[in-house]
Amino acid sequence: MFVHIFRYRLKCLFKDKVTIFWTMIFPLVLATFFQLALANIGNNERFSPIEVAVVNDENYNNNQIFKTVLNEVSTGEERIFNLQTVTLENAARLLQDGEIAGYMVAETPVRLVVSKSGLRQNIIKIFLDRFMQTSSAAMAVRAQDFDSIGKEVLEEVSISKAEPNIHLNYFYSLIAMACFYGSLFGLREVMEIQADNSSIAARINIAPTHKLKAFIYSMCASFFIHIVELLILLIYLILVLKVDFGARIGYVLLTTIIGSIAGVSFGAIVSALIKKKEGLKIAILITFSMVCSFLAGMMMHSIKYSVSENVPILSYLNPVNLLTDALYSLHFFDSLSRYWLNMALLTMFILVFWFGTYFIVRRRKYASI
Amino acid sequence: MQVFKLCLKIIKDNIPTLMIYVVVFLGVSILATSSMSNESKEMASFTPTKTDIAFISDETGPLVDGLKEELSKVANFVEIERDTEALQDALYFRRVTYALYIPNGFTERFMGGEDVKIQKTTIPESYSSAYVDISVEKYFDLARLYLTNVENIAEEELVSKVLKDLSVTTNVELYDTRANKADTSYANFYFNYLSYSMLGVLVMGMSALMVVFSDKDIKRRNACSPISTSRINMQFILANLTFAMVTWFIMVGFCIMFNFKNSLTPATLYFVLNSFIFMICGTSLSYLIGTAVTNQEALSAVCNVVTLGPSFISGVFVPQELISQSVLRIASFTPSYWYVKANNEIAGLTSFGFEQLESVFSSILIQLGFAVAMFAVALVVAKRKRYA
Repeated sequence: MFVHIFRYRLKCLFKDKVTIFWTMIFPLVLATFFQLALANIGNNERFSPIEVAVVNDENYNNNQIFKTVLNEVSTGEERIFNLQTVTLENAARLLQDGEIAGYMVAETPVRLVVSKSGLRQNIIKIFLDRFMQTSSAAMAVRAQDFDSIGKEVLEEVSISKAEPNIHLNYFYSLIAMACFYGSLFGLREVMEIQADNSSIAARINIAPTHKLKAFIYSMCASFFIHIVELLILLIYLILVLKVDFGARIGYVLLTTIIGSIAGVSFGAIVSALIKKKEGLKIAILITFSMVCSFLAGMMMHSIKYSVSENVPILSYLNPVNLLTDALYSLHFFDSLSRYWLNMALLTMFILVFWFGTYFIVRRRKYASI
Repeated sequence: MQVFKLCLKIIKDNIPTLMIYVVVFLGVSILATSSMSNESKEMASFTPTKTDIAFISDETGPLVDGLKEELSKVANFVEIERDTEALQDALYFRRVTYALYIPNGFTERFMGGEDVKIQKTTIPESYSSAYVDISVEKYFDLARLYLTNVENIAEEELVSKVLKDLSVTTNVELYDTRANKADTSYANFYFNYLSYSMLGVLVMGMSALMVVFSDKDIKRRNACSPISTSRINMQFILANLTFAMVTWFIMVGFCIMFNFKNSLTPATLYFVLNSFIFMICGTSLSYLIGTAVTNQEALSAVCNVVTLGPSFISGVFVPQELISQSVLRIASFTPSYWYVKANNEIAGLTSFGFEQLESVFSSILIQLGFAVAMFAVALVVAKRKRYA
């Protein structure tokens, strides 16, 4: 019986293109967009040089060091600035037209004129600060030996054994989201076992198969499809997009599978609890998981931390947060204690979802449908 | 105007659903905008917000104390326990975003001219930690300079000289242009974000309208009515435009309301103009989607891909400066790219003559070109599908 129901459920689910789209294609597409948008961040590709001008006056022409240093950083492949040497009026005009980020006037201390504050303006200021501070020191000691400048004194030590990687957080959220999109499968399973929800369910209910067995077997099909979809997502992330999950790939896999089961079961209990039309069920499901994702910091990281600081209980009651937290802590901590705590809580949620669904779905009798 | 009236009726019936979209997208826009503009302010400000750091040192002495003094300009010190677990915890919950560890014997080895290192641990997504990096590097750069050039310099003397040098800073002056007194970063982010949220509402809303008309029987009934097809189409488009305009008005209105004190500038005018043109673009895109896709379920799939995709690659969620050139080249085939580009340029302007606005106008013209092109394709598709 199991094989029969399982096989036909697989066929049914596989033909439901909309659910397949949301649970598999959409996360894949999102992952691709993430990668496209983020690929350039952090891979040391240089920013384009900043357009600046320096006012060509007496002070500037007398200040040989400033002149040399400015020319040095404005030439070559790895230059910081595209420098123009102009008169004061021209500099002002260029600034007004937005053609330069700022202009410098060689006074002591050097004056920087900008039209707004911004990243580029800040880089100019930091450069000038550094120049003046170093030249002030160099003058004081009449230094000849500049080799010591620019020697690195800081050494980055990552928090855990895993490489620190800004992209990973995005992909963790994506995996958590994909897990909870699995709730669409759970929703369908309940819709098609509760006789008052759909005609397919009514037909299944009059069959001599035990309802619980039929339901469990169908749920197995849903779990199976969703887990396979998530595996495809993981394979795509690792092999095609080359996302590096570090050495703990096995745990990521385990988390994904538990997450998938949690997602599908979550859909089932929501669908069983709410006895309204499909559209409303989907709306509630999506809204609820969106709110959970939001509180788990999927849209903004800071939300997650303010929740866990101000309302810690909420962060443990939010299944999406448990999932993202499990993935983050894998990446963050050497010890696995936090990870297992999250997984244990998540498993408890799954059990609650299962028993809840069971008590709602069982022994339903209908006078009329 | 029967068709027009019918469209308005359908829209009216759908108002509750549409309002949900508008409210959700507005909420997301406002939240995201305020968080993004704060983040960029942090990035852009000349006086950085102080970072919370953990300063762990195995030794004390003038050199280390001097570093601490210099760092206090850019950082707040947070006391945490000295073991890995506690440090990981503190970083994980963002009690600190940066940790420095100075090993025992550092001063001695540094003063001896050895190449010693300080260990740092950061969480990747914090901008302000760059300022801590710079401070530490500057401090030791100058210390080394004195060390190599002045023989037998005492530690105290070295530190006091370094700190004195470090107190010299650039005078930053804002060029006085009355036009740009207001802060445009909020508007810039909001209007960029609008390309995602407005497109979402337009595609969702208009497709709900078009699905009704794509019903085979209704289509046939309309085809045999005494009103000519072109008139039906014109009224239909008019209704769509009305809907788009109301949506645009609400969404732009909210931005101005939330950001009123910074809105009375010429920049706002161009932001609004740019978004209006983008709205027209969005209308023809929705019209195209509405005619090409007639299945309600497929619509929401297409809608999500079409609104999210360009937003990612053309700089709505991630600033254009940070996206690689090749991706941007792909993005330039979408109107969103030109819309965002124009917005960013408007935000950077200090005066608004024709010369300065030239490239903004060309971006706007390109968007109009997209609108016309998509509309033309939509008409072809509609003709092909008429009796299919």
